[in-house]
Amino acid sequence: MRQTRSEILGRALRTAVRNPGRTLLTMLGLAIGVGAFLAMVSFGTGARASVMEQFELLGTRVVYIWTNMNRRDFGGSARPLTDFDVEALKREAMTVERVVPRITEVQNVRSAQTTFPTKVTGTMPGFVDIREWPLLVGGMFDDTDVQQRAKVAVIGTTVAQALFGRRDPVGETITIGSNLPCRIIGVLTSKGQQTTGEDMDEIVLIPATTYEAFLGMPIGYHELMLQVRNIRLLETGMVEAVPIMRRSHRLSENDPDDFRIASPAQAAQVARFVSTILTGLLMGIAAVSLLVGGIGVMNIQLVSVAERTKEIGIRSAIGASPRQILVQFLAEAVVLSFTGSMVGVALGWVASSLVARAMAWSGNLSVLTIAGAAAFGTSVGVAFGYLPARRAAQLEPIEALRHE
Amino acid sequence: MSGFPIVDAGGICKEFPNMSAPVLDGVSLTVDSGEIVALRGPSGSGKSTLLNILGCLDGPTYGTYRLGGRDVSTLTPRERAWVRLHYIGFVFQSFHLIPDHTVLENVTLPLYYMGVGRQEREARAIELIDRVGLSHRLKHRPAQLSGGERQRVAIARSIAGEPRLLLADEPTGALDTRTGNEVMSLLKEIHEARSLTLIIVTHDPEVAAFCHRQIFLRDGKIVDGEYRHAANA
Ligand SMILES: Nc1ncnc2c1ncn2[C@@H]1O[C@H](COP(=O)(O)OP(=O)(O)OP(=O)(O)O)[C@@H](O)[C@H]1O
Ligand SMILES: [Mg+2]
Repeated sequence: MRQTRSEILGRALRTAVRNPGRTLLTMLGLAIGVGAFLAMVSFGTGARASVMEQFELLGTRVVYIWTNMNRRDFGGSARPLTDFDVEALKREAMTVERVVPRITEVQNVRSAQTTFPTKVTGTMPGFVDIREWPLLVGGMFDDTDVQQRAKVAVIGTTVAQALFGRRDPVGETITIGSNLPCRIIGVLTSKGQQTTGEDMDEIVLIPATTYEAFLGMPIGYHELMLQVRNIRLLETGMVEAVPIMRRSHRLSENDPDDFRIASPAQAAQVARFVSTILTGLLMGIAAVSLLVGGIGVMNIQLVSVAERTKEIGIRSAIGASPRQILVQFLAEAVVLSFTGSMVGVALGWVASSLVARAMAWSGNLSVLTIAGAAAFGTSVGVAFGYLPARRAAQLEPIEALRHE
Repeated sequence: MSGFPIVDAGGICKEFPNMSAPVLDGVSLTVDSGEIVALRGPSGSGKSTLLNILGCLDGPTYGTYRLGGRDVSTLTPRERAWVRLHYIGFVFQSFHLIPDHTVLENVTLPLYYMGVGRQEREARAIELIDRVGLSHRLKHRPAQLSGGERQRVAIARSIAGEPRLLLADEPTGALDTRTGNEVMSLLKEIHEARSLTLIIVTHDPEVAAFCHRQIFLRDGKIVDGEYRHAANA
């Protein structure tokens, strides 16, 4: 074999160009396979990244303890979450850096102009630290405000927009519920929507003491947020918090927990696991479609070899060796598979960009993924192109020549 | 070179599966280097089958075949391809050009398979195409040519690899008399210029008359002309 590689590939390319119908048909399956593969990978990783982003919105080092007071099955026996629990946790939990309680209920909130029913949260100054939530303007209320049950509020951008439009709300007064006037001292930065569609910016924060005094807290806090010292202490923090809470609630050994405890990081792990499985599944499906594309290449090449039996006979009569004929058809498979894969890359790119735009994800196809898909597509095509090529090479010259 | 038997076949038999009688039944013949031999006989007598065996496209079922002194009756497909490439040129009744190749590409094909570099093989092919009078048709496809032109392209291709043995199976069979004569005189010119050996299967007595000697086949046997030097001793 003294022909150069580029010459062999050049001839294969020429054959492909001169027989456009056959070429398109051969490429189609692989192009769709590679395209689907990329689209699915992109979809999987995009969905996964978006899930993780959602969990990060909730704070990364936080363990949540929820009350069971509002659950019917616990209604009788559960104890409320109180400042007593907060103090116990602050005092005893070594891994915990900060404990912030929270109660949230929907209240009517009025400005001079309009009324906007929204979620009002009674909490402590540490809320914005634990949720890693900086302020856009103004400041958060402080411990003094908490002690004095100050009538002050920090609001989210959606609330600001709804009540004051484009005006600066800081310094304005809003009335919460029937008659709790609060002066606005700060506006939170925007966190946007959660996956659930919940608008994170629909929020009003007031001191927990103010909330208790004027709006009432009949079942105690809804939630305690525990920030652990670092992310690796999440598990330990949870293990540590449970007995402290049980003691604080004076539960005896046989009593079940009368609170619930979980961490978004833990949920995030589950979500990560689920989305990894999902991505794997999608990739499996995509791999099957690639395989089908490869079988497509094989079928069309088999038809092509049958169609070109006469040509093979002519080449053979001239003196082409079986190996040269094998190489010719393999080279055609290489060219068709490579071009098909490239078309597939383009298709996959377009599809994933469309999906990313629709779902507001960032573009996430790495060069490595694209190169991998193209290489895999090409290999599949060439592997499936081998059988037809060998069939061509093994044709009897006389039989092939007599073929009409 | 002259006087040396390039073709030396003895007791060639060819049987096909599902055929009761052998298609070739003990054919022996020798052809000297430089001879022009006509192979004649009724349809189905085995002329093409014999030519294919002489051209190493096919192997005999029994018998020996020495080509240029070398035993080629028991070669592998790969070795036969090598022999065809370097020693043999074919011209067929229905031209057998590759339809999606241009005239130039068709003629360069043997040189490509021999591993001749692109520039040299194109230069040599252009010279041959010029030789058969088709230099104005280099970039044409076979479908754009007349029958006579196609056969001339096929002839140019058959000699591109400078074979010693040229085998033509009814080369004028698909052409009218005038074009057929042009093709025959082209073959004759080439034969003279290149001192190659020519075996032509033909039904046409005029074509046969133009050869040094004639061999007649009937039912797979040589019935006349099997002795050498019948025409040009
Ligand atoms: N591959 C094959 N399988 C079976 N039979 C074959 C095969 N090749 C040729 N034959 C048979 O062998 C016989 C001789 O065929 P061949 O083509 O050699 O005849 P021919 O003398 O060239 O005839 P024509 O003048 O019509 O071309 C025919 O009966 C044909 O059917
Ligand atoms: Mg015949």
